[in-house]
Amino acid sequence: MNFGFNEEQKSLGETVAALLADFPALTGPDPAEARDPAVWQALADLGLFALLVPEAHGGVGLTLVDVALAIEALGAGLAPPIAASTLIATDIIVRAGTAAQQASLLPRIATGELRIALAMLENGQGYDPDAVQTVMGGNGVTGSKILVPDADVADLLLVLARIDGRIGLLLVARDARGVSIRRHADIDPSSGLCEVTLDGAALMDGALVGHAGSGDVVPRLMDAAAIVYAGMAMGMAARMLDASVDYAKTRVQFGQPIGAFQSIKHRCADMAVAVEAGRSAAYYAFWTAAENDPDRSRAASMAKAYCGEVARDVCNETVQIHGGMGFTWELGLHRFLRRAKVLEHGFGNHVWHYERIMVETLAAQAVGDKAQAA
Amino acid sequence: MDFSYSPQEERFRADLRAWLADALPPGWGETVFEPEDEDERAMFRLAWERKLHSGGWSGINWPVEYGGRGATLVERAIFAEEMARVGAPEGLNIIGHNLAGSTILRHGTEAQKKYFLPRILSSEDVWCQGFSEPNAGSDLASVRTRAERRGDKFIVNGQKIWTSFAQYSQWCFALVRTDPDAPKHKGLSFLLIDMKSPGISIRPLRQISGECEFNETFFDDVEVPVDNIVGDINDGWRIAMTTLAYERGPEDALGRQIRFSQELEKLVGTVAATPRGGAKLIDDPIVRQKLARSITEVEIMRLNAVRTFSKYLNGDDRGPDASIIKLYWSHAAQNMYEAAMDILGPTAPIAAPDPLSAGGGRFQLSYLQSKAFTIYSGSSEIQRNIIGERMLGLPR
Ligand SMILES: Cc1cc2nc3c(=O)[nH]c(=O)nc-3n(C[C@H](O)[C@H](O)[C@H](O)COP(=O)(O)OP(=O)(O)OC[C@H]3O[C@@H](n4cnc5c(N)ncnc54)[C@H](O)[C@@H]3O)c2cc1C
Repeated sequence: MNFGFNEEQKSLGETVAALLADFPALTGPDPAEARDPAVWQALADLGLFALLVPEAHGGVGLTLVDVALAIEALGAGLAPPIAASTLIATDIIVRAGTAAQQASLLPRIATGELRIALAMLENGQGYDPDAVQTVMGGNGVTGSKILVPDADVADLLLVLARIDGRIGLLLVARDARGVSIRRHADIDPSSGLCEVTLDGAALMDGALVGHAGSGDVVPRLMDAAAIVYAGMAMGMAARMLDASVDYAKTRVQFGQPIGAFQSIKHRCADMAVAVEAGRSAAYYAFWTAAENDPDRSRAASMAKAYCGEVARDVCNETVQIHGGMGFTWELGLHRFLRRAKVLEHGFGNHVWHYERIMVETLAAQAVGDKAQAA
Repeated sequence: MDFSYSPQEERFRADLRAWLADALPPGWGETVFEPEDEDERAMFRLAWERKLHSGGWSGINWPVEYGGRGATLVERAIFAEEMARVGAPEGLNIIGHNLAGSTILRHGTEAQKKYFLPRILSSEDVWCQGFSEPNAGSDLASVRTRAERRGDKFIVNGQKIWTSFAQYSQWCFALVRTDPDAPKHKGLSFLLIDMKSPGISIRPLRQISGECEFNETFFDDVEVPVDNIVGDINDGWRIAMTTLAYERGPEDALGRQIRFSQELEKLVGTVAATPRGGAKLIDDPIVRQKLARSITEVEIMRLNAVRTFSKYLNGDDRGPDASIIKLYWSHAAQNMYEAAMDILGPTAPIAAPDPLSAGGGRFQLSYLQSKAFTIYSGSSEIQRNIIGERMLGLPR
C-alpha cells in the first residue's frame, strides 16, 4: 500500500502543465480564443493519447492512476474538453471494446488521429443514464443529445442509447449521415457544448461497445468520467488557491498585504484544506478505476460530488479575494468559474452522486446485516 | 500508488481479526455496550486497552525494544480499519499512547524510553497533558507555571487547566517556565511529573456535555527529579511542538476516524429504522443528501491520514500537514453531528436516558461533545494561522 505518486507520474503531470502553459490563450480572458486547435496536436505529439492504449495497439499501456496528475493538469490549464473525453473513451474501448474495435480504433487514438466526444445527456432526463431515450433502430440511431462537449471538433461520438430496450454505448462518426450539430449558447463557450441531433444516424461498422444492458460498460463510463472530471476539478481548485495566495501576498490595503488579515488568511487556509481533502478523494478514486476495485462506484461518486463542491467553492472564494479585480473580464478568473460549473454538472452533480453513495451504502449495509444473520 | 496489501499485511489483518473475534465482550455492540457511568466507563476503557496490550496489539508501529510491535505505518492503518469494522471500544490512555509516548520516543533519554514506554503501552501508566493555563491557551508560549531548579530537583508551582483525564492519570507531561527572563518561547521546559507527588491537587470541571473529563490542576511546591526533563532545560518549546504534531497528525486522526465511522454507521442504521409520516426517514431525499455528504467526509478523513502516512514513508518530513488533517477532521466531524441533529428532526432534542431518544441518546451527547473538536489541540483559528503562514507563506 502506497498512497503516493511515483516520479514518472509526477513528471507526466508537470509536462502536461508546462505544455498547456505554452498556450496562454487557454486561460486568457476571452473564451472565444481559448479553443486553439493546435493544443490538440501538441498534446498528441506529447503522446498523451497513447498513454492508456495498450502496447499491442501502439500505445504505452498505462492506467488511469498513471495519468491522474496529467488529468489534474488538463483541468488546471483549461485544456479543451475533447482531450479528457478522448481519454475517457479510450478507457472504455480498452476495457469493453471488441477485438475489431480495438484493432481499428486504438492505434489511431494513440497517434491523436481520433477525437472522441461523449454524448450522454438528453433534454428533460436529468443525469441518470437509465433515463436515456435515444434509440438504436434498423436504420441507425435516433434521438437528441445535449451538452456534448467539443462535439463540433470531434471525429467520433460515443453515444449512450437504448438498444433492444437496454442501455449501451454506440460509436457514430461525427460526419455520418443523419448527424447534425448545433453549438449551445452556454456559460463556458470554451467547453464547446453542443446539441447533437441523431436522425437515423448511420452507425460505424461494429458500433456497439460492449454488450448493451449487461456488463459494466455504462457504469464504468459514468465512473471513469466522474473520476476524470473530479481530477480536473482539483487541478482547477489548486490553481485558484495558488492565484488567491499570490494575490493575498501582494495586494496591499490599510498598509499591509491583505494576506496578513485573518479573514483572508483563514479563507486561504480553508481552501488549502479543501484542496488536499478533495485530492485524497480523487486520487483514491483513480486507483479504484485503475484496478477495477469493488469500491469503484462509491469512490467515484465521493470524488465527483466532493471535488465538484470544492472547485465551486474555491473559485467563488478566489473571485472574492481578488475584489473588484476578480470581477473583471480582463483578469480571466471567470474562465475558471465558468469551466468549474461545466465540470460540476457533467456526469452527475453532487446531488446525484450523493444519492448514489446512499444507495451503495445501504446496499453494503444490507449485505453486512445478512452476513451477520447467517 | 497502490491500495492493495502485501501478503504480510494481509496476514497482519487476519491475525488481528481472529484475535478480535475472541477478545471483544460477547454480544459487543448488539446487546453489550460501554457503561453509562463516567468512572465505570473509564475503567472499562482501561481494561480494554490492557487487553489489547496483552494480546500484543499495542504500539503497533513502535520499536520492539520498547514494547511495541515494530510494524509499519500501513499496518497501523489496517489496525484502525479493523477496529472500526468491529466497533471496538476506545481507550482511556490516548494521551499516553499518542502524545507522551511519541514525544518520549523522539526526544527522551534512553533511560526515559526504557522506563516509560513499556508502561505506556501496557497502560499501566495513564497520562495527562499539562499544557494549557488560564492565561495561556492559544498563546501557549505564555505559560507561567514555574519550575525552579534546586539541586537535583525542580520545584514546580502554578496552575494548569483543561487537563483531560488528570483524575485517572499517573503521569503528566507539562510545559513549565524555567527562565522567566528569557523571551517567552525560549524559557520553557518539558517535564514529566508524577501525579502522586505531594503538592498536586486537581479539581474537576464540568463540561458542555455535563461530563467531567477535564480538570484544573494545581502545583504547590511539587518536587520533580531533574532526570524527568525531556530535552534540555529551556528547550521545552521545541519538544512541545513534537507533541502537538502528533496530537494533530494522522495517527491521532485515524483513531478518531474509527469512532466517527462507527457513529455514522449507527446513525445510518437508526435513520433506516425510523418511521416518519407513514414512510421511512431514510427515504427523505434531503436526509440522504446530508448522510451521504457525511459518509464522504468521514471517508476522506481516513484517506487524508493514509495519504499522509505514505508521504512519511516516502521520505517527507512531518510539517504543517498535521494542521491540515486536524482542521479537516474537526469540522467534518462537527458537521456530521450537526447533520445528525438536523436529520432526527423533531426528536433531535430528546436525550438519554429518555426512552424516546434516537440511537440511545448517543447523537445528542456526541453533538455536544463535538463542540470541543475545533477548540482543543489548537483551535481552528490557530490551525488556519499555521497553514496560512507556514504552508502558504502568507505574511503574519
Ligand atoms: C475538551 C477539552 C479538552 C482539553 N484537554 C486539554 C488537556 O488535556 N491538556 C491541555 O493542556 N489543554 C487541554 N485543552 C485546552 C485547549 O488546548 C485550549 O482550550 C485551546 O488551546 C484554546 O485555548 P483557550 O481555551 O485558552 O482559548 P483562547 O486562546 O482564549 O481562545 C478563545 C478564542 O479566541 C481565538 N483566538 C485566540 N488567539 C487567536 C489568534 N491569534 N487569532 C485568531 N483567533 C484567536 C480562539 O481560536 C478561540 O476561538 C482542552 C480543551 C478542551 C475544550
